Parts: sequence; structure tokens; C-alpha cells
Amino acid sequence: MIANLVYEWRRLWSVRATWIMTFVYLVITGLLGAGPLFLGDGEFGAQTWQGLYSTNANFLCLVMLSVVASQFFGHEYRYGTIRLTLTEFPKRERVLLAKTILLAVFVTIATFLGWAVLGVIGSIAPEGSIGTEGPGFSVNGGEPSELWQVLLFSFAYCLIAMSLTMITRNLALGIVLPLLTFSVIEGLIQLFANLANGKMDWIVDILPFVNGNAWLTNLPDSPNAGLIFAGWVVGLYLIGSAVFFKRDA
Amino acid sequence: MRIEARNLDKHFRSVHAVKDLSFTVEPGRVTGFLGPNGSGKSTTMRLMLGLDSGGGETLYDGKKLSSHYPVTRTIGAHLDAKFFHPKRTAYSHLRMLGAEAGISKARVHEVLKLVGLESVAKKRPGGFSLGMGQRLGLAGAILADPQVLMLDEPANGLDPQSIQWLRDFLKHYASTGKSVLVSSHLLSEMELLADDVVVIARGNLIAAESMPAFLSRATGSAVVVRSPQSEKLAELLSAQGIASTTDGARTIVIPGQTTDRIGEIAFTNGIALSELSPRTASLEQVFLELTESGQEYRLGETS
Repeated sequence: MIANLVYEWRRLWSVRATWIMTFVYLVITGLLGAGPLFLGDGEFGAQTWQGLYSTNANFLCLVMLSVVASQFFGHEYRYGTIRLTLTEFPKRERVLLAKTILLAVFVTIATFLGWAVLGVIGSIAPEGSIGTEGPGFSVNGGEPSELWQVLLFSFAYCLIAMSLTMITRNLALGIVLPLLTFSVIEGLIQLFANLANGKMDWIVDILPFVNGNAWLTNLPDSPNAGLIFAGWVVGLYLIGSAVFFKRDA
Repeated sequence: MRIEARNLDKHFRSVHAVKDLSFTVEPGRVTGFLGPNGSGKSTTMRLMLGLDSGGGETLYDGKKLSSHYPVTRTIGAHLDAKFFHPKRTAYSHLRMLGAEAGISKARVHEVLKLVGLESVAKKRPGGFSLGMGQRLGLAGAILADPQVLMLDEPANGLDPQSIQWLRDFLKHYASTGKSVLVSSHLLSEMELLADDVVVIARGNLIAAESMPAFLSRATGSAVVVRSPQSEKLAELLSAQGIASTTDGARTIVIPGQTTDRIGEIAFTNGIALSELSPRTASLEQVFLELTESGQEYRLGETS
């Protein structure tokens, strides 16, 4: 298993795209964190360290991480290297486990680096722009997340991207499908649900990112949001795994 | 290491691509894997590596590939000249592939030097030519010095010098007791390279035997005799029920016979011979004869 992990580590960091996307993620995290502090003039509400550190769970940041997540399988299928990987490691469950562990490691590293950037920004922010009273303001809306929630949500989002790439074997779809679902499709469904006078509310109640965001931002009226979101993540991962195990390489 | 492919079978929806294929690849020998386009060679190789699911099994010294560790010291496969990330340098590509067997950086440089890619080791292979891609693929396959080499069309895109180098390398590799299975469309090259052949057409096994045995299958095998008494020899042969044809002055061609037999008849009857030589069919002739009906994608007639 160590060899699988070494292989994945070298695969991950030996392409420039990983470095570039990590850098872009950090820049966007920094800009989103700095914006309200330096430009907002307090109009977004009082900021706290917790609010600032929940910035990198923002959708714009996660899309950058999902690019790398999709590459875990996307590059393999796109360039045919999956056949090299599976010749070297014929046990596919180990390949999948190694990729999943490395994805978790990558997301953790990126998230901690994001917090480091936010920490620097917070420390140079105008005096008084970060307070200690209350939870603070979150760029994700709702209440700021706990640090573990930011980390878990980032990993879950990336796991969805990787699972969709496993299913579709298409790098672009692994990035675009969650992005569109998060940013457009779920919004449209909510709009139609409103127009349908409550007849479609049950659909809204099971949407992945509506629930994911509700859990992330600690909305009080969605007690099962975390479970529903986790169901989507696990479900997609299981489907992706089954496809990966069964299909020809 | 002996490879035993048993009852390999593969369907792609309605297409039966590989049909109950069984053959062995012996250690210390180069085995050529031949077949027309679409005959199932690459699919068979993928089945042997466990990349595709299908019927049958392939055993490496009696065990499945996944039971060997490290796998890369057991088998090195090169299936396509473009199986690399175009932005990952040749060096990094090989470092990645060396993870399982714990290959050192020095070995990576050694292999890059061996295949002539040392000067472009830090370059991204996206701009590599087909031949350079083949060399990188070969470098990946031999990196851990495996007991088995499985190469799919490794000579495609190589220049004549590189083809000669590849031939010498593979012969040397097999001579150290390792197994080499190599598919190729370059039949003249394969005739020089392979000790054994496995021939398939439309997924069916046509032959799995030594190269000489395969060549002797040709209907064109004959003995050529040049003698000042060629007419007398022809009469003697005819009396023994052996047909011959004249081929220019003093030369006769005797199909389906051996030089030993004809030499013995001539000697017994006191006939002087200026030349006694076998005329064996080329690999191409035999291959075309045996696979004529098995071509998946037939060509049109040329005028």
C-alpha cells in the first residue's frame, strides 16, 4: 500500500496543473478573505477569525480544488496512463484507496495553506476589522463554519468531483457537473419549486448542495442536511467505485 | 518465467473479439504475436494483464499476476507509444512508474540513457515524436528489469537504426532467460527477431509454435537443385513419384521435399550437384496464406 501511495504522490505533484490550481486556490481564498476586510468598510457585518477561516469553503475556492480532484482519474483515462497504473497495481481496490487517501491529503494540505493565507491577511487587516464577539460574517452566507466543517466539506466536494470523473471517465465533466449543479441547476430547481406552490419541495429537500451548504453554514432549520449531503457523497463514490472495478481499463 | 494463457475470451457487445485462446510464452525466447488489424492482439494482451475483463486466465509461473510482488519486477508492459501525461517530464514519468519496485534515481537515468532519451529527460513528452514515445514506453517497461516483457507494436515509428537496436536488445533480453512477447506488423522484422510465433485471426488461434515449424507450413517450401544432369535427376525423381519443375537451364525446383532426401537420391544415382538448397517461404507468405480468410477489415482490389 505504501508503494501505491508513493506512486500517487509522485503522479499528483509531477504535473504543473496541480501546482497551478493550488496556487490559484490560495489566491482566490486570499482575495475572498481580504475583500470584506479591506474594502467592505463593515458593510458585510462584523468579522471574526472563525468567519475569516470559513472563507475557503466558498464555492469559488472549491472549484479550484475539484480540478485537481478530477485529475486523479481524469488524467489517467485521458492519457491512457490508467493502463500503466493498473499493470503496476493490478488490485484496483488498492488503487482506489490510494487515490482517495491522497485526495484527502491534498485537500488537507490545500485547506491548511488556505488558512495560513487567511491568517496572514487577518494579521495585516486594518485594526478593528476583526473582532472577537459572536461567530462573525461568512462569505458562504449563514453562520461561519467550524474549521473541521470547512475541511470536511472541501473533501466531500472534491470526492464528488472525483466520483463523477470515475463514472464519466471525463475530466471536464468531473469539474463541470458539480459546478453547474451547485451554481445553476439547484437554483433553477428551487425556482421551479417556488412556482409549484410547494408541490416540488420534496425535491429541494434532497438536493445535494442545498443540503451541503445548509450543513456547512449551520442553518438551524435543516437538522438532516448533513446526512442527506453525506448520502449523496457516499452514493456517488460507491457508484464510481463499482464502475472503476467493473469496466475495462 | 513461463506465461500460460488459458482459454482467453472476450466479447465487445455482439463482437466476439477473442475466442477461447490458449498458448504459452516460454522463457529464454522471443515470441512474436501476429495477426491482421483487428484480429484481437491488443485485446489479448490487455486480458493477459488483467486490464480488460473476460473469460479465461493468464498464469505467470503458475500464478496470477496479482499474486506476484513486486509486479513490475515480474512484468513490464508497453502497450501504446502515447501512454504518458504530455506535461509530465520523461524523468518524472519513470520515477512515478518506479514507485512499486523502489527504483532508484540512478536506475531511471540509466534506462533513459539506454533508450537514448537522456538529453530530453527533463523535457515534457507532449512534443515527442512517435519513435521517442515508443522509447519512453519501452523505458517504462524495462525499468524494473522484469522477468517478462510484453510489447505491443514497439517498432512502430522507429527509424531503421532504432529497429535494429530494439531487435538486438530484445534478443539479448530473452537470452538471459527472460520471456519476451512482442506483437508487430513488420513481418520481415519479426522473422529476424522471433523464436516462436503466436498467430491469431478474428480472435481465433491460427498457430502457436516455433518459427521454423510455422514457416514449414507454407505450401511454397521447396528444394532447389542445380546440376549438369538436371534432366536425368528429374526423370529419377519422377520415377519415385516426386514432382519437379524446371526453373531455367540446369535448375529444377522440387516442392514439398527436404534437401536430405534429394541429396540422398542424387548421391545414390551418381548425379553431380552444383547447388542443393532449401527454398523456404517468408514469414509474410505463410502469414498471408494462413490469415487470408481471417482479415477483419478487408482491403479492396487494386487495379
